[in-house]
Formats: sequence, structure tokens, C-alpha cells
Amino acid sequence: MKDEARIGKPMRRTDFDDKVEGTAVFTADMDLPGMLHAITLRSSAPRAQIARIDLPALPEGYFYVDHRDIPGSNVMPSPILDQPFLAAGRVNYVGEPIMLIVGPDRQVLSDILKDARVHYLEERPVLSIEDAEAATGGFIYADKPYFVSYEYCKGDFERAAEEAAFFIEDEYRTGYQEHAYLETQSMLASFVDGNVTVYGSMQCPYSVKESVQAALRLGPENVRVVQLPTGGGFGGKEDYPSIPAVHAALASMKSGRPVKLVFDRKEDIISTTKRHPCRIRIRSYIGREGTIVARDVDVSTDAGAYAGLSSVVLQRLSFSVCGAYDVENLRVRSRAYATNKCVSGAFRGFGGPQAFFAVEMHTEHIAERLGRDSLALRRSYFLEQGDTSSTGGLLSSPIRLGEIADALEKTSGYSVKRALYSNSAAREKRMEGCPTPLKGIGISMFFHGCGFTGSGEKDTLKAKVKLKKNKDGTVEILASCAEIGQGSQTTLRKIVARALDIPVGMVVHRYPDTGRCPDSGPTVASRSVMIVGRLLMDCALEMKGRWKEEDFEVTRSYTYPEGLCWDNDKFQGNAYPEYSWGGNVVEVEVDPLTFEVKVTGVWGAYDIGEPMDDRIVAGQIDGAVAQGLGYAGMEVLTVEAGRVLQDNLTTYAIPTSVDFPRTVACLIPNPYKEGPFGAKGLGELPLVGVAPAFAAAVGQAIGKRILRLPVTPEYIMRLMEEEAEDGF
Amino acid sequence: MDSKVRFKLNGEHVTMTADPLRRLIDVLRDDLGLTGTKEGCGEGECGACSVLMDGRLANSCLLPLAAVEGKEIVTIEGFRKTKRFELLKECFTEEGAVQCGFCTPGMVLAAEALLSADPHPNERAVRDGISGNLCRCTGYSSIVAAILAASKRGEGLW
Amino acid sequence: MVSIRRPVRLSEALYIRQCEDTVLMAGGTDLMVKYRAPAGARPSFTKDVVLIGHLKELNYLKVYEDVARIGAAVPLARILEDASVPAYVKEPLASIGSPSVRNLATLGGNICNSSPAGDSLTMLYALDAVLTMASSKGFRECDMADFIEGPSKNRLAKDEILIEVAIPMGAYDRTFYRKSAQRRANAISKVSFFGVASVTGGKVESIAMALGAVGPTVIRDRDAESMLKGIAVPGRREASDRALEHIAGLVEPIDDLRSTKTYRRRVALELTRHFLEEVVGL
Repeated sequence: MKDEARIGKPMRRTDFDDKVEGTAVFTADMDLPGMLHAITLRSSAPRAQIARIDLPALPEGYFYVDHRDIPGSNVMPSPILDQPFLAAGRVNYVGEPIMLIVGPDRQVLSDILKDARVHYLEERPVLSIEDAEAATGGFIYADKPYFVSYEYCKGDFERAAEEAAFFIEDEYRTGYQEHAYLETQSMLASFVDGNVTVYGSMQCPYSVKESVQAALRLGPENVRVVQLPTGGGFGGKEDYPSIPAVHAALASMKSGRPVKLVFDRKEDIISTTKRHPCRIRIRSYIGREGTIVARDVDVSTDAGAYAGLSSVVLQRLSFSVCGAYDVENLRVRSRAYATNKCVSGAFRGFGGPQAFFAVEMHTEHIAERLGRDSLALRRSYFLEQGDTSSTGGLLSSPIRLGEIADALEKTSGYSVKRALYSNSAAREKRMEGCPTPLKGIGISMFFHGCGFTGSGEKDTLKAKVKLKKNKDGTVEILASCAEIGQGSQTTLRKIVARALDIPVGMVVHRYPDTGRCPDSGPTVASRSVMIVGRLLMDCALEMKGRWKEEDFEVTRSYTYPEGLCWDNDKFQGNAYPEYSWGGNVVEVEVDPLTFEVKVTGVWGAYDIGEPMDDRIVAGQIDGAVAQGLGYAGMEVLTVEAGRVLQDNLTTYAIPTSVDFPRTVACLIPNPYKEGPFGAKGLGELPLVGVAPAFAAAVGQAIGKRILRLPVTPEYIMRLMEEEAEDGF
Repeated sequence: MDSKVRFKLNGEHVTMTADPLRRLIDVLRDDLGLTGTKEGCGEGECGACSVLMDGRLANSCLLPLAAVEGKEIVTIEGFRKTKRFELLKECFTEEGAVQCGFCTPGMVLAAEALLSADPHPNERAVRDGISGNLCRCTGYSSIVAAILAASKRGEGLW
Repeated sequence: MVSIRRPVRLSEALYIRQCEDTVLMAGGTDLMVKYRAPAGARPSFTKDVVLIGHLKELNYLKVYEDVARIGAAVPLARILEDASVPAYVKEPLASIGSPSVRNLATLGGNICNSSPAGDSLTMLYALDAVLTMASSKGFRECDMADFIEGPSKNRLAKDEILIEVAIPMGAYDRTFYRKSAQRRANAISKVSFFGVASVTGGKVESIAMALGAVGPTVIRDRDAESMLKGIAVPGRREASDRALEHIAGLVEPIDDLRSTKTYRRRVALELTRHFLEEVVGL
């Protein structure tokens, strides 16, 4: 197709002007007449009963709001029902919301908060996966130390393991990652005559709506949720915003005034969700011919105080942890442990980054043990069309892993550099203490399942969209997709305009408002373009056939593509409707004096089907790679005695403009027949494989195997000292 | 205790009667309705609250109102009326330098401060110039490209 | 309720200092963080604040042949832009904060904040900077190394204001500054090193080194420095080994949220060794 005619040809983003001019109204910028502010009193104990709370007397016009003010359910709607909106008698993590202080003057609110005193009867907290494993009683959740425990198999694992010649085993650890969206959690609610409208920063308007309905005991017709421009989400505004939304709504209900709740950075970091820390043990069984015949994986995640989305994160992690490789016999067991720490949850990649770090580093180890080049080893196990996934689902679309690897070779010169940097003469020279940087290069191959896991799209979400033709010939998209910076308002418009063959300017797409937009599902799981975009395309095609009609609406609901199946009890079948695939190469220099890592090159090659807008795609890749490099080596978040130590953006360091070079990225075209104009998922894919490529590069530079994330200079030093002690 | 603080704001002389210990960001946003200045961290770390003070980049969350006495402050609301802004805006869109947009007003002002001091920066200088403005969406490359493009196309503007 | 004052002249500021217990604010980049309150509330200072960043009497910068005299309230950015200030003085200052922070932050503020990780401090210790304090009684000088007593503790009296930092200018032909931090900009040092030396006639004529963030204050080991004076360059590492061993005895870092004591210790000594062996050639 000619370049001019491609849908991917970049266009000016429709959410651009107001953002750059500073006129976009984010939640903190919004003001309603008579509006009050709220501030949150939070737990300072990791696990305790609340004995009593001493509160100062309130000036007129000020209110306290606690769990007794909740007319409906004080349990957040989640896959597992355990998290209160406001603590009722006990707290399970530092930062857990206990009550709200509401009033007109933020100075006064701050003074009252300072004088409020919570008296705790502290209990022994569970602070790590190991703590949880060792516990025999005093559980946080029900009668067991974990929220969920899964197991699935493929092939004949037992027999293959028994017949293997030997096995190679590793244990990997990954740390927390904080989303660090630039805009903190923010909500504004206005309760008038039994109806509440909630405006705010969010990814999932309908999840917020469900929570507000449940907590305020209101019917669906009485709760309206409107997304405002949202300053970054990355999963951090998937389920969490329901909590501040309910808080603001309760406060508005009690005070009779609109109430705005904007988190401080510190409370945002200590109280909101994070990427799950985890421990992954992988054992690969090697047959007599040196082939990988079976794999046994044991995954444990640190889920924090409440279940949140830990069950579904763990599923995605477990389904991804065998990598982009065809290994016939598998056993994967996994658990999400309850600990008295902030709740782990959704974060771009949703378990994928942990899974691919483990399996890719393990692949490096296998190659080393078998004396094979790690890329050649990978190539010989690449999944191909017609193979089955880890859960036995048929991979019916073409898979272009080989082309992805070829593209990476071509752009990065991976193999030549890899050989050069492992040249033994060069190694010896630097072992003499010569302070030239230690160079290394690493590769990773990965995928991301597009859309909800398992049968979620079909059984849970059942996405609905509406397309409305107006008299003036404009067409409006009505869906609950949130624009969180990823460009969905632009890409979805392009899809509709292309299907209707009208100028993009004729298509309207406002921020979602549950009062007008049907529930097209949450803005998560790299599903907006592939799932919602497809439904909108179908609406548009129907609309095109009826174009002569003056004004009308077309609606569509999700239909499960033919040929897919999923057994949610046995975890068998197609875990995802389709996959996006990718590879990364990262090149580094390790400073022999400070052990700091300088990234000297980053390359990526991705199969996302068809790009809907080249510039938006490039932006998603650039941003995800930076976030992935932050996760890989820079972003350290430690929880000591239940307290987050890095609780601001000074101590929790995210990448700045001077830390990493530009990513050299290319796309491998591979249109997906069920996606709109061939598109698959994009948003998460470019993050999931960054850390293993980085870690493999550092590993080569220092001649050691990397077993944990983040790969800090302190960790590198420790590994290199082990080397010295070994007399290597 | 309120007192009078006089300064120039977006080209106009203003006299604020307010508690001089309050942060400039709060005065701009709450009292003057200039909400293009964002709060991202409150610690001078993220740069979302950037303003220009006497032509230099400053974090308005680190400035007590009293400290701007006699100074000239420019916020995005003032800067967006200039030709320089128009060019930066075009370059930001062409390079895809805006995603969620929360850091953008501060980033644009950082670009202005940088180009005023050095109209022809190299990539290194651009990266240094915006190193106090955090962006979690773009990975910065598109922003750097946009500023370099503005420098190239903005002959005589800076 | 505490207030903020903006004296017009130094004498007025000194008068306020003489009469009241106050906290001085120049750029505010440390204090406004230390006393930050929730958004929309005033910073939580417990004493009256006296603004001094704008005082003309503290805003001069003059580099003479033998000394650079820098007013305590000169912002770091101005020092960095001044062509007459030598590069080795600028290097640590350029590593502080971000451009916007350096536009506000002052040299005097970095000194009075008295953090063991203050990035100007290693340079000021090593170069034997002299501080001048004023009070309504007159002026007093204090060596940089004597001024700071511990983290956030210094010898500035309640009635005093730091007005000038004098940095002696030397003819150094070997200089080295390095800091290790969580990222490459806008980050507080995990550990830092500053060293200068001059080598003439094949021998070390002068040498000075200081280490940051590896003790309660910046560490400068004058005994180790004396061991190195007069040693022939290129050397055979004996002298540098002895000096390093001595320095190692003074380094006492801690574990904190930024790094570990073992890392700090090792890197501090690696950087020192690098300076001595690779930069000076000992």
C-alpha cells in the first residue's frame, strides 16, 4: 500500500492542543461552586487493630468521614472481595485509608490531620513471601497464607522429567515498581439529590461506577462517572481509583457539597498499587541430546495486604513464564501471598516483565551450560504457527519470531558485538583493574497476550460500543476507553474514519462519560485498539451501508472469535485471543569504579499486527522502553518493617532525559485478521522484555549471571566481589 | 498573616495580598486560576510546576510567595501567547512529544529557558536542559527531537 | 504563627538575626522540601523565615588570581555561567540537582544545609575554602572543614549570616570529580570524590582530596595527603597504597535508602585509587 494511503500515517493528535497550552482541565484543575477538599488519615501501622482515634473538634463546615458513613458495602468489588474502602477497626498496611477530613480550607485540613491521633494495638505483620510461607496461623486472608494458588501442566511433565539426563535450575527475584504517573490519584465528586457524579483521573470509568454504586448503595442510573484528562496510568489507575472515587463520593454525600480529593505524592506512593515483587524458580530438564524436554516453574508473588488484581496478574505471569519457546512438557505452579504491605496490582505488562526476566535469564544460563550461543538456542525453540501455547491453545496465526530476531541482528549488530565483548583477551585485560568500561550486550524475545486473560473478554467484560451519526454528518464514538496519554482518542477516531471513508475531523470522541457511553470494558490489557477498535470498525462498516439515513446509532457487542476455547478450571486452551511479539537488544557499559551501568544502545523489533499511527506507536515504544530500563536497573523501592522507604520522587528515582539513548525500533508487519485493519495490542509489549535484555548485557559485561531485578550498582558490585573471592 | 507582594506576572504588574509564606504554585493555581502550572511532587523534583522567573526556569513549588517580590514570572498562560510558543507547539506535535500532557507545560517552559540561553543546543545540551522535568510517558526522545527541531527552525526567534 | 521576612539590606537581616531565633532561606530548594506540607497548606516552618537570596551584599562573584570570592547567595547557575571560575570548581556544582534547582540553589545554602552528601562540599573542603560570617557584632572567618559538625549541624551562630565563600585558586594540573547516584541527573550522591593535585619536576607538589557521603561530614584526610607530597610521579603505587589504607581507616559510611555502607566504602576507595593512580600517576 502506498504510504499516503496507510492508516498508520501519523496525524496530529486530537488531545494535543489543550495539553500543550496548559488548558486541559485535569482533576486538580477543576473547580465547582461550593467545592470542598478532602484529606486522608492513613494507617501508620503495618498490621493492627485500631483501639481508638483521638480527633480534634471540627470547625463549622468541616466533616469527618469514616467507615460508618458508608451506606452500602465497605468492600471493593474485585475478583476476591476483601478490601475495605475505609478501614473498619483494623488496618493491614501502612498507608491504608482510615478516614477523611473534609472542608473548605486545605490549611485547616492539614492542621487537623496533624492533630489526629490513631491508637493501634499492633499485631505481628507478615512482611515477605518467606514470612507468609512459614506462617502456620494468624493469616491475613481467610485460613491460608495466600490469596490464590494455581497449577497447570502441558504434555506429560512427570514422565519427561523422569527421563531427562539432568536439569538446570535457577531462582530469580524481582522488586517493586511504582507507576510514578506524573499526576497523582485525583477525584472530584458531586452528590446532588440522590445522584452522584464522579470526575477524575482513571483508566476504567465503569469499574469506578461499580464501586461507587456498591459503596453508596445507589442504582446504576444514580451514578455517573466522567473521566477527565489523566496524567498517566500504566495500570496504576486501573482498579485503585475506585477507592478515592468512593471517598470523594462519600464525602460529598455527607457534606452536601462537591468534594475534591487529590493525593500528595507521598501518600500516592505509599498507598497505591505497585508491580508485584516475585520469586520465580525455574528448572529445565535436558534430554540426552541436549534438548530441553520439560520445564518446572514455581512462581510466588508478594501480593500485599489485599487481593486486588493479584489473581489475574498471577495468571498472566504463569501463562507467560515459559517464554516464546516451544517446550513440550510443562508444569507451572504459582501462588500470590498475602503480606502486610501496600497492595500489588496492575502495572503495564501485568506479570509479563517478571515472567520474561526469569525465563530469558534462564535461557541464557541454559545456553551457557550447553555451550551454545543463546540466540541460536532461542531460535531453535521459537514458537511457530501451528504450535500450542503453554496452556495448549493452538497458535493459529503466523508467528514471526525469526524475522524479529533477524531485524534485531541487522539493526544492532548483536551477534558481532556479543562475540567481540566476550573475547577472552579483552576480558583478561579488564580484569587487571584497567578502568576501561566493561561492555556487554544482551537480547530478549517475548510476547504479550492481547486482551483479557482466559475467557475474560467473553464472560466478564462483554464489551459494548456505540457509534452515533449526527445530522451534521459528524460521527461520535461512544465507548468507555480512557485517553491516558496512549493516544486512544486519536487511533480509535482513525479506525472509524477509515472504515467510513470520511475525514478524521468528522469523527468525535470525547472523554468517556458513563452517562452516555456504553461499557466497552476497562482501558487495560492492550485491548483498546484490538478489541474496542474492532467493534467500532464493525459499527462503522454497518453505518457506511446506512449512510443515507440522517441520524442513527449503531451498537456492537463483543463476540468471541471462532476457533478459540478456554477452560478456566484446568487452565487449558487459548489464554488470549491473540499475541503481540517482540525482541529487544540492550548494550551497556559497566563503570569499573562505581559499578554504574550506562546504556549505550537499545533496539527493539515488534510484531503488533498493523500500526494505527506510526508516531503514537513510536511514542509507546520509547516510553515503555524507558520505563522498562528504569525497572531493570534504576528504580528501587524497598519496604522495611512495612514502610516504603522511597516515598517521594527524590528517593524513588525514575529515568530523566539524560539517562538513556533513543530506542531504535522497527515493526514486523503481521496483520491480525480479527483486529481492526490488522491491529493487535501494543501498550504493554515494549516494556516486558527490556529488563532481561539489560540484565543479559550486564551479565556479559561482568561475566556473572544476573538473578535479580533491579540490577543496581550495589548488586553488580556484590556479584563482582564474589568473582574476586572465587579467585576467578 | 497577609502582606502585599508585588511582581510581574505574564507581562503585567500584580500586587497580591496573601500569606507570603505560601508556595507560589498555590497562589498561581488557587488564587489566580492559572492551572497550567501542575503539581507533580511538591519537592522540586519533577518540574511539572515549572515557571520562568526573570527568564530562568524555576520550580514554583519551592518558592514562597515572598521570594518573587520584584521578580518577573511567566507561566504557560503567558508564554502561550508568544511566537516562540507557537513554534515549540508545532515541533512538539510533529515529533509526538506529548502523551498524557501533565508534564507538558513545564516541559515547554524548560525548552524556552534552554533556547533563550542557548539558541543552538546540541542533543546533549537539550537533554541536560530538561533533566529536571520528569516525563513518565515518552521516554524523552520525542521531546528532545522537538526542541532540536524548534532550535533549527526558529532562526532569529531566540 | 511563623512569618517570612524579606529584609532590604544585609544590615536589616543581621538586625533581625540579632533579635530573633530565625531560619535563613536563600534559594529555598532544601528548606522548602524539608518543611513541606500537604498541597495548599503553608510550609511547616517552626521559626520565622528570613529571606536572604535577593540581598545584593551576598550576590557578588569575583575571581582574583589567588582566590575566588563568591557571595553566599549567588545561585549555582551563575557560578557555572561565569567564565572566570575554573572548571574543576564548576564540575561538582554542575552535578547538583537540575537546571531549575541550580537557578535557585546557592553555594551558601549547600554549605549551611550541611549534608554529608552536599555536592559542593567535597570541593570546598579539598580547596581549603574559607567562610565569612557576619553578625551585628562584625565579621568572622571559619575554615570550611571546621564549619560543619555533623549531618545538618554547623557552627553558624543564631545571630550570624554566612556571607562569603572564598576559594583559594591553585595551579592544579590534575583534577578529578566523580559522584555515584541513582541516576545521571537530579540525584543525591550515594558517594562522591573530589581531588586536585599539581605535579612539578616529576614530583607531587600539592594534593588534596575529599570524600562525600561516607561519614557524618565530608572526609578529608590530611595525613594521607602529607604522605603523598614530594612523591615521584609516575610512582609505583606504594605511596598510594599507604595513603589509601589510611583513608580507609577514616571512611565510615552507613546503610540508608539510597545505598549500602559496603558499596559506599568500596566505591569511595575505588575513586580515590583511580585519582591517585590513574589521574595523578602515583
